[in-house]
Amino acid sequence: MEPIKEVTFERTYDAPLEEVWQAWTDPKMIKQWWGPDNVTIPECEVELRVGGKIYIVMEAGEAMGSYKGTRWPMLGKFTVVEPKSKLSYDVHAWTEGHNDNGETTIDQTTEMTLTEENGKTKLNLKATIHKTGPGAKMAVEGMQGGFTQQFAKLKKFLA
Amino acid sequence: MDIFTAIAEPTRRNIIEMLASNGELSATDISGKFHSSPPAISQHLKVLREAKLVRMEKRSRQRIYTINPPAMKELEQWAKQKTALWDRRLDRLDKVLQAKKLKNEMKHGTY
Repeated sequence: MEPIKEVTFERTYDAPLEEVWQAWTDPKMIKQWWGPDNVTIPECEVELRVGGKIYIVMEAGEAMGSYKGTRWPMLGKFTVVEPKSKLSYDVHAWTEGHNDNGETTIDQTTEMTLTEENGKTKLNLKATIHKTGPGAKMAVEGMQGGFTQQFAKLKKFLA
Repeated sequence: MDIFTAIAEPTRRNIIEMLASNGELSATDISGKFHSSPPAISQHLKVLREAKLVRMEKRSRQRIYTINPPAMKELEQWAKQKTALWDRRLDRLDKVLQAKKLKNEMKHGTY
């Protein structure tokens, strides 16, 4: 058993490398997939250079029930920007209105690498958590609670 | 200190891995496995105790350390939550890319 603080992913997309890179770096594109479902992205800023800012706000939509309107911002800096190849950023994420002393802050690093493979694009991602505030777990559970409500609603609708 | 900061330090990670594979170890056993001074190891054990990653029990003159399962469970839950979030996000990225591809194909008359 190893104490885990990072998760890794590998996906291959049937799309040219340029388009995957654009989807990750153009705020208009990011807003379309960052999600989750029933969450909107009212704010997204990307300064694509080392030391440049990355700022994304997720806002709970109508279907999230009592969580509707809850905002989960994340703000940080790019540490690696190698066009069409590699991105890395350090951010802290929190729940707006519930972070007076950093209770809900989560410090994390995301590293993303793209490689071209026979016209397709392989994406490797590593997400590492460095530090969590004492209320962060509850905030995340709240967020999941919102999703559970939303699933319950859908189930009812389909029944 | 929160659990993630506590496990970021390599010696503390090693201690946890050792406890996980041995079940329980005394403070002396743990110190014996490192080149660092016993007070340094003792300090690491204190951090791990305070983060509730390990438990300590006094047995006669020994301090016996074991893993504290709820903290390990919490780490696991964080990993699961992150995995679920990114899995869905990377699926949606695929849909966006496919929709764009279709649009391009239609525009260029290859569809």
